[in-house]
Amino acid sequence: MANGHSKGKLALGLSAVLASSVLLSACSQNNSTSASDGGSEQAGSLKIEVFDRGNAPAGLTASDNFLTDYVKESFGQPNNIDVEFVPIPRSEEVTKLNVLMASGTDVPDIVFTYDSGTFNKYAEQGGLTDLTPLLDEYGPNLKAFLGEDTLKYGQYEGVQYSIPAKRSTVGKYASFVRQDWLDKLGLPVPTTTEELYNTLVAFKEKDPGETGGKVIPLGMTIAPGQYESLIWSFIQPVTEQERFELTQTLSSRDYPVLLPGFKDAVQYLNKLYNEGLISKDFALDENKETLTQNIGSGLVGAFSEDNDNIFYPEGAYDLLLQNHPDAVLTAIDPYTNSEGKHAKPVAAPNGMYIMVPKSSEHAVEAIKYLDWMASEDHLMYIQNGIEGEHYTLEDGVPVAIPNLSAESTNKLMGGGDIGIIANGRIFESQEKNNEAFVKSFKPDYQDIIAKSLDISNTDAIEPVYTSRPIEAESKYGTTLSEKAKQLIVKSAMVSPAEFDATYESMLKDYMGSGGQAILDERKAAYSEQQ
Amino acid sequence: MGYARYFRRNWQMYALLVLPITFFIIFKYGPMYGVQIAFKDFNFFRGIGGSEWIGLDGFREVFANHDFYLTLRNTLMLNFLDLIVSFPAPLILAIMLFELKVVWFKKLSQTILYIPHFISWVIIGGIVYQLFGTQSGMINNLLMSLGFDAVPFLSEKNYWLITYLLTGVWQSAGWGTILYLAALTGINKELFEAAEVDGAGRLKRILHITIPGIKPTIVTLLIINLGNMISIGFERPFVIGNLAVREYSDVLSTFVYRIGLESGQYTLATVVGLFQAVVGLIFLLAANYISKKLTDESIL
Repeated sequence: MANGHSKGKLALGLSAVLASSVLLSACSQNNSTSASDGGSEQAGSLKIEVFDRGNAPAGLTASDNFLTDYVKESFGQPNNIDVEFVPIPRSEEVTKLNVLMASGTDVPDIVFTYDSGTFNKYAEQGGLTDLTPLLDEYGPNLKAFLGEDTLKYGQYEGVQYSIPAKRSTVGKYASFVRQDWLDKLGLPVPTTTEELYNTLVAFKEKDPGETGGKVIPLGMTIAPGQYESLIWSFIQPVTEQERFELTQTLSSRDYPVLLPGFKDAVQYLNKLYNEGLISKDFALDENKETLTQNIGSGLVGAFSEDNDNIFYPEGAYDLLLQNHPDAVLTAIDPYTNSEGKHAKPVAAPNGMYIMVPKSSEHAVEAIKYLDWMASEDHLMYIQNGIEGEHYTLEDGVPVAIPNLSAESTNKLMGGGDIGIIANGRIFESQEKNNEAFVKSFKPDYQDIIAKSLDISNTDAIEPVYTSRPIEAESKYGTTLSEKAKQLIVKSAMVSPAEFDATYESMLKDYMGSGGQAILDERKAAYSEQQ
Repeated sequence: MGYARYFRRNWQMYALLVLPITFFIIFKYGPMYGVQIAFKDFNFFRGIGGSEWIGLDGFREVFANHDFYLTLRNTLMLNFLDLIVSFPAPLILAIMLFELKVVWFKKLSQTILYIPHFISWVIIGGIVYQLFGTQSGMINNLLMSLGFDAVPFLSEKNYWLITYLLTGVWQSAGWGTILYLAALTGINKELFEAAEVDGAGRLKRILHITIPGIKPTIVTLLIINLGNMISIGFERPFVIGNLAVREYSDVLSTFVYRIGLESGQYTLATVVGLFQAVVGLIFLLAANYISKKLTDESIL
């Protein structure tokens, strides 16, 4: 790091300030001409954000593949619109978008985020196009597809500043246990928190997987898929007012930190940790890599997870079966709350927020594009590929054809990321949505996925809906979601004797870092609503 | 000699300077335009010029933020410990390398020592987590198979500190030797020969010739390091840090990343950046002044 020219170091010292400003220096604004001047007589152009997950097969990219070509041919050419896809790394979704939005010039015409705080901030700062008139004029199919229920999630103070994607299934979490371990020990499938606990103790003491002492009875991480099922089962019943005021929505997820029972939940986690029943390094595993490895190598006895995650090709279940062909997982729903229910959070009926920046001159084309996607069978094609090659229709629901050739598989690449108006496959009824979800996986897994999906929708706790955005949540969301995780981690990892002191000091820090501001604003918002 | 003639004779030198100066203007001075964000309520869509002036409100908000003090403390603490642990390492290594007489072995060792410098922190982070994980790390697997208890190298804050510091030494010590080695070659060989004739042993020669010979380099590097006490690289604390040790691993650069790039509060992020720049300048000048008084060595 130390490099000759000493006096230059002075300038270097000064340049520390650049960290945040270098990206903004090119920030000359030109938000002059805005959307409404149609401009369809000449060839239009349209830049569309697309998530780059870094997993494109050789020779393809997130912005240039079979499906992007399909969009260009099927939507671009007939409408005389030049379509371009702008890749954004999935993991830097918000940071990259912030930089693009601030640059003003390079920003795509269609951008999106899963983060409600980010959407609210853009809307509040006046950076988004009001889509109401455009939707009425150019988006009849889109409106019909999404419906008023979904569309309301895209409003900011009553103005349609975004198009929310529609979610096909709202269920999030299920839990799983190694059935072969249970059978070996002659144990029943755990159906309550206590039974699960006894099972975990038995897994630890008897090591049915013959892991040589490396057994992880309950696989844990600090990702929501693993801890939320457990934590929410400790939350006490509350009135509708308490629920509104005490919930904290951080980065689009409801955190129960202030709800009664949260402390008991963390204390239970502390007990499990100190008894050696959960992954020792759960605090280091934010992206579930270690957990996936450990499940795959047959060290984990039970775990909670997103209802679909382990079933994807090369996912944890595939790995487990490669290493231990006799292994069997059973989907379970053990965590029980004080009312005997298996309460767990589900997602909002909307997916990401699709936005058109105010600086965009192609708002009309943007809505036309989304409307095109919602019309005829375009979304079906984007999500499922070609009938006969990728799927067959059974009762109107596409069933994946197994063992596709590499060429065929490549054609499907990026479908979920291009079909931005929907999260999952959407049909006329919830039953069909569920069926399509299940049948998109390989036949061997379909039974357990159906059960997993069912569990994830049992005793659902829906997200709290606020008709006006809570400003403190946009402001402190990122910091506080981090603080909440820190609270869980630190409190879980201390000795039981130190638990109370650690928990209280972490909670104090949380409240001081914006938790109190959110609480105050929510209380005010609730009395306003009355 | 007139300017014109002087310039005609030396114009190549000035031509060579054009690139570095352009670099500084574009990348170091140009962005200072953005410093005004610290005094404005920055709005993404109105840009720097269009945002409203808010005076010192941004500073008030930052100085009222509990995390700011925590990250400031951690920045100083990690840098200070790094100075104690990592500063002598390249010096000792360089002297050891200098004493080596077998050329091929010396070259080979140098190359091996340099390599970690060229590995990105993200990759080093991956290696560190594979090696030092409590449950599945190689080191702990070894310890446990020998009958010891697992050591929480990454999840207990004090152990983490040791991991953090030693990783830093591993990564940078070899590279840090370059300047010392260059300085060492500048020492007059006759001094060593004379000392040897007078019966000075290796240790005496190191203490009385080698170290005094490179003292200006040591002092210069120390001043530079002290000037940088307030700024800290982003990658190392970010990739080696984790949720369980945030108390120590959260530093100003990760704080700026979180409130600036992640939360979009550019005003606050710029305030922190400006604060760092000003304090860094003060540190640098102070270190330089003290050094001038004590050792007569200085860089300004």
